[in-house]
Amino acid sequence: MSVVAGHAPGAESTGAVSTGLTPLFVRLKLSLLKNGLRQSSGRRTAFIISAVLVLVFSAFLVLGLILLRETQYAPTVTVLLALVTAVAWAFMPLFFPSGDETLDPSRLVMLPLRPRPLVRALLAASLVGIGPLFTVCLAVGSVIAVAHGFAAAVTAVVAAALLVLTCLALARAVATANVRLLTSRRGRDLAVLSGLIIAVGIQFVNFGWQRLAATGGMSVLEPVANVVQWLPPASAVGAVHSMSEGAYGRGLVQLLLTLVVLAALLWSWERGLVKLMTAPDGSTIQAASDSARKESKAGLLTRLLPDGRTAATAQRVLRYIWRDPKTKGAWITSLAIGLIVPVFNALQGTGSAYWACFAAGMLGMQTFNQFGTDTSAFWMVATTISTVRDAYEELRARLLALLVITVPYTLLVAGVTTALAGDWSVLPEVLGLAFALLGALLAAGLVASALYPYSVPQDGTYKNVVPGQGSLAWMSLLVGLVVSTVVCAPLIALTVWLHVAGLTTWFLLPLGIAYGVLVTWIGLKVAAPRTAARLPEILAAVSKG
Amino acid sequence: MPDQAFDKAGGAHTAPPAAVRVQGLWKRFGDQVAVAGIDLELPAGKFIGLVGPNGAGKTTTLSMVTGLLRPDHGTVHIGGHDVWADPVQVKSRIGVLPEGLRLFERLSGRELLAYSGRLRGLPGDEVDKRATQLLDVLDLAGSQHKLVVDYSTGMRKKIGLAAALLHNPEVLFLDEPFEGVDPVSAQTIRGVLERYTGSGATVVFSSHVMELVESLCDWVAVMAAGQIRAQGTLAQVRGDAPTLQNAFLELVGANGHNPGDSLDWLGGGAPR
Repeated sequence: MSVVAGHAPGAESTGAVSTGLTPLFVRLKLSLLKNGLRQSSGRRTAFIISAVLVLVFSAFLVLGLILLRETQYAPTVTVLLALVTAVAWAFMPLFFPSGDETLDPSRLVMLPLRPRPLVRALLAASLVGIGPLFTVCLAVGSVIAVAHGFAAAVTAVVAAALLVLTCLALARAVATANVRLLTSRRGRDLAVLSGLIIAVGIQFVNFGWQRLAATGGMSVLEPVANVVQWLPPASAVGAVHSMSEGAYGRGLVQLLLTLVVLAALLWSWERGLVKLMTAPDGSTIQAASDSARKESKAGLLTRLLPDGRTAATAQRVLRYIWRDPKTKGAWITSLAIGLIVPVFNALQGTGSAYWACFAAGMLGMQTFNQFGTDTSAFWMVATTISTVRDAYEELRARLLALLVITVPYTLLVAGVTTALAGDWSVLPEVLGLAFALLGALLAAGLVASALYPYSVPQDGTYKNVVPGQGSLAWMSLLVGLVVSTVVCAPLIALTVWLHVAGLTTWFLLPLGIAYGVLVTWIGLKVAAPRTAARLPEILAAVSKG
Repeated sequence: MPDQAFDKAGGAHTAPPAAVRVQGLWKRFGDQVAVAGIDLELPAGKFIGLVGPNGAGKTTTLSMVTGLLRPDHGTVHIGGHDVWADPVQVKSRIGVLPEGLRLFERLSGRELLAYSGRLRGLPGDEVDKRATQLLDVLDLAGSQHKLVVDYSTGMRKKIGLAAALLHNPEVLFLDEPFEGVDPVSAQTIRGVLERYTGSGATVVFSSHVMELVESLCDWVAVMAAGQIRAQGTLAQVRGDAPTLQNAFLELVGANGHNPGDSLDWLGGGAPR
């Protein structure tokens, strides 16, 4: 289809359309917004609430930025704020793909539109909305906070516009480049993962905040800001600051840099649009990618394990951790938080090496509700389990798959945390305790999986339990945690006593490992007959999603 | 309506041993009785259709027969072995394709078969050999490395059938195997099943498409409202009725329910 790039016979008429395209698209965006709100009262309420919240927040933000004007931190804060905003805009379309129908280029593919006016019109249309309004407030507040003097004021006007436009162009360019991804199953999988970005992000913000508070404020961020002020679009704000300081040359370069990046983004967006609208898409390309997908090789684990249920199940579980967005999200969140919390605590000097047990705890919880992640596909397992031995092998194989990740990870976190805490002598006991805790959690998780299974819904980012099974899920996890702690109590008591008595503690490592293995084995032995006896009940419980 | 059971299949001939024997099977979900005490005797080596309207209890029955749902009362024997008391003997002898339950969709078609075969305890080489042949016959070889989550309904039914056949079961239970399947895939599935029963194995499948059952099955059980209304050879169940469809409507009590009078306003000639 060459309507976008090539010369069509009706070129004059398309030119006429192009001139009025920008207002047309803006009007289209407004009507879509209005009609969308008319559709349901729930949507209207949500829109009004979020609009009010954003307006209030924007007002406070602008006020805060203006107040910041008199302080020395203004350049640092505004530059970093601009960067964070740009990053947010870049990732937003990947995680929240729905919503902006005017900007879905595949809907415009049959219209006689030329790329340049189209980009202009789409850019203008994307200025309409709550998000852009917030960004405008932020940009205006930021430049007010740093602009001192006439030259800076003039630059500020340009810089604010550049900041907003670059953010929008960035979002559009990223979305267009990934539109195939966003409309595919992979894209929807990605959206499910967005929850973990937020979960991990909160940890970073939390620790970042504590660190700022601990080290005496913004001055730590200055070196970062010195680099970021050259990164577009934050460089636009940097330019205003440079002008205020009288560094006109530096300011001009920063402004130009932003302009160049904006132009580059628009150019790549335009190219992406042309390619998208003229190249064949998934509906016309035959399943050519089938052969592209390599035949998956048998992993190291399956070659090491004997052929049969153990290898097959372990491999399936590992594949699910990698391929199933829900499972992957849960694992990455656990891995990230399990590392961030001990390491950041150790970094702050407030934590001890014992925080490494936290990582073992986070990962140990992944054994809970083993069959829930199978969903109703658990029938395939249920039809092959006829003896307690089968159930034992099935659970053991799942455990092996988990250990492939948890054991090296626990070693890593314990090593890093101990190194940061600076006391290598406690490493053996930390590892011993961590493995004992891991073993206790694995055992509790297996028994809980057999006795209290529940469904994990496959859609929705934040839902991990089907309505009605929430209390079951929480209770099983809570009871499991309490039981695991109680099971580990003798070892903890022994550690404390050894310290008080001033005795050597290195033997806690082999003891902890042996304890963990023993407890896990007992857990397997308890869970296996219960699993074998409750197959229909487990299937019914995990099929509700 | 009283249970209108016929004599054992075959009549004059010596009856073949029952592949599946169900006695007094009950299942209740809350207040609703899904299966109300059914008795069934399904002969071995036959293509058996379990027919009935939606909500008749076909899926519940098949789930209980295959060990996926625990009955409130009653016993199920497959090849002479009790499904609930002797799962070792039963589970290796049956293949299942349930309706409304997922597969492990994040595996590719080939990986799913490899996984399923190894769970059944088959040697790896044998699994891979059989999987290759099944994928070829079921016309899935081109999509064998695609994830099952990206398969169409027909492809899912076919990969599910392949997984159910992989360990060469004696009895195959298929719940609505042709539901949502295009004619080409349906023909492929049909061909595989006919070859399978031709070798002496038993297929039990549920459906509400009478034409399909009439053309495929030599033995039929009719279910309605949780009860067996008739069972026997096709000819026995059809009786004097011109088609199985008519006999079926008669058996489930749907004949004579003519909506013509109450919808007199509907149609071109009627006043608006």
